[in-house]
Amino acid sequence: MRDATRPLPFGPAARAVFDLSLDGMVFSRRSLLMALLVAAPVGFAILYRVLAATHGTPPLGPADLYALLVAVYWVRNVLPLAALFYATSLVADEVEGRTLTYLLTRPLTRASIIAGKFAAYLATTFTLALPAAVVSFFVLMTAPAAPPLGSAAADLPRDLGVMLLALVAYGAFFALLGVLLKRPVIPGLLFLYGWELLANLPGYLPRLTLTAWLRSLIRHRPAEEGIAGLFQQVLPGDQALVVLLGVSLALLLAACWIFSKREYVLDQ
Amino acid sequence: MNRSRWVLILALTVVVVGVVAGAGAIWWSSARAAVGPLAGEALILPKDARFVMGFDVKRFTASPFYAKFAKERGMKPEALQQLEDKTGLDPTRDIDQIVVAGAGPGRKGSPGLAVAFGRFDLYRLGRAIETQGKALGTTHEGVTLYSFADAEPRALAVGFLDESSLVFGAKDEVLAAISSRTRNETPLKTNTALMALVEKVRPGSTFWIVGDQSLLASLPTSLPAPGASADGAATMSLPALTGLTVTGDLDPQVSLAIIGEAKDALAAKNLADVVRGLVAMASLQAQQKPELQQLASAISVATEENRVLVNARFPYELLEALQPKAKPAIAAK
Repeated sequence: MRDATRPLPFGPAARAVFDLSLDGMVFSRRSLLMALLVAAPVGFAILYRVLAATHGTPPLGPADLYALLVAVYWVRNVLPLAALFYATSLVADEVEGRTLTYLLTRPLTRASIIAGKFAAYLATTFTLALPAAVVSFFVLMTAPAAPPLGSAAADLPRDLGVMLLALVAYGAFFALLGVLLKRPVIPGLLFLYGWELLANLPGYLPRLTLTAWLRSLIRHRPAEEGIAGLFQQVLPGDQALVVLLGVSLALLLAACWIFSKREYVLDQ
Repeated sequence: MNRSRWVLILALTVVVVGVVAGAGAIWWSSARAAVGPLAGEALILPKDARFVMGFDVKRFTASPFYAKFAKERGMKPEALQQLEDKTGLDPTRDIDQIVVAGAGPGRKGSPGLAVAFGRFDLYRLGRAIETQGKALGTTHEGVTLYSFADAEPRALAVGFLDESSLVFGAKDEVLAAISSRTRNETPLKTNTALMALVEKVRPGSTFWIVGDQSLLASLPTSLPAPGASADGAATMSLPALTGLTVTGDLDPQVSLAIIGEAKDALAAKNLADVVRGLVAMASLQAQQKPELQQLASAISVATEENRVLVNARFPYELLEALQPKAKPAIAAK
């Protein structure tokens, strides 16, 4: 029989929180909005095929469009935004809904709560983003002007891996922001569209951003204009993998630690 | 199992099916037996080649580039018609791909050996060559061979490998290629440095070329600095390249991807800075020629460890704008 005076072990506790959180995250208004945003490229790809069939080959080739979708649309913009809106609310939603008390009074460690909720966030965003990438890839790469599918297909697993890594890295950062700040969305947006622009500067500054490391892991290099085009750096791939995984783990541990130490006083 | 689990499993299934389908496409691709975009049959080319280039004739003739510039650039459709009348060969219809391997500049008399893939009427081609009386027809290891200017030390020859492939170049190299094919050897594959570069070329490009260190050693190592005098007193030194890969496409726009491999990351950075400087100089010229502004913004330069990546995309409208305009006729006084 389990000792009721001690909390549940980390694994079962995190799994219980994951089960509880997943339903609430997948079937929510936030997910509906995010699904539209994340899966929009499927619509773009179908529209591209229709336009190519009715009006001739558009100026942008299907491989170039897919490269833009992966490198600019998903990895640079939409996945970080999805991470911002989901990961900052892992705890904030419970605080706002005044339901945090119910979680904290259960025999669960606080680290297992963060871990379970983070896993639910990853599962939800995975469900929204990765199938959209797969469908967009096949819709575009089977277009008449596309390169042979056999040569392009090698990029697909890599792209899916980088998208997943983007969700992990940005998710860990925004989870930390969510437990640190009461209103994390504005600082999160400033991080995404202020700090992350350092990735386009010369020198060592791009190494201080997540986007430069993520960008280095994908093979697509859409031509960019201005400073970004001139100074774009591609960092070593093996280092990028180590840095992103290391930073994500450190940020998640920091989020768990802060959440464990912090006292929450709920408004009455 | 609750409904969110079902959604998760459905998403996972889509991803797994997609990845498996992609792996299947790679497995069944015609490039399976080849090295990168290089067809397996082209591996009979010489092992001491310092460059290999491929040209996809089908993609070229289907591109807007061909449609726009074929007549202007002296493609001489009437000459092609004459060729077809004499030999039954219409290059735009019958040739799929041409692969050339050679030593490049520096080795005298070796322009390179080419293999052409397509559909060839060997009887009509042979008759056309024989009736001109300029070539001597023989066979070598069962393959029909026509050699031109046989008395010359570097006679040229064409070998009819089969209905789908021809080999053309210096006679001794053509003979060696035919012998390699008969013995089922792949000499070019033993050139590991060059094959490593070829493997990185994306199949499906309209044209591509790779060159190894020995070829690039003959390139100039310095450029005249801006404002330098004609005697070249002030120069910018260029870091040496150890490998070069160029791939290009013509549809829907002219796009070039150049990857230069330098000795180390510092040399790559220096080389990238030189390229950026040239792009910036082109931008400065924009006041005189506004189309150069577009040209400069169409080029991006990046570095990746010891590699310099230059991507360029030129819409056809831009290329047309860069064409020299016909001078208006001067009115007679």
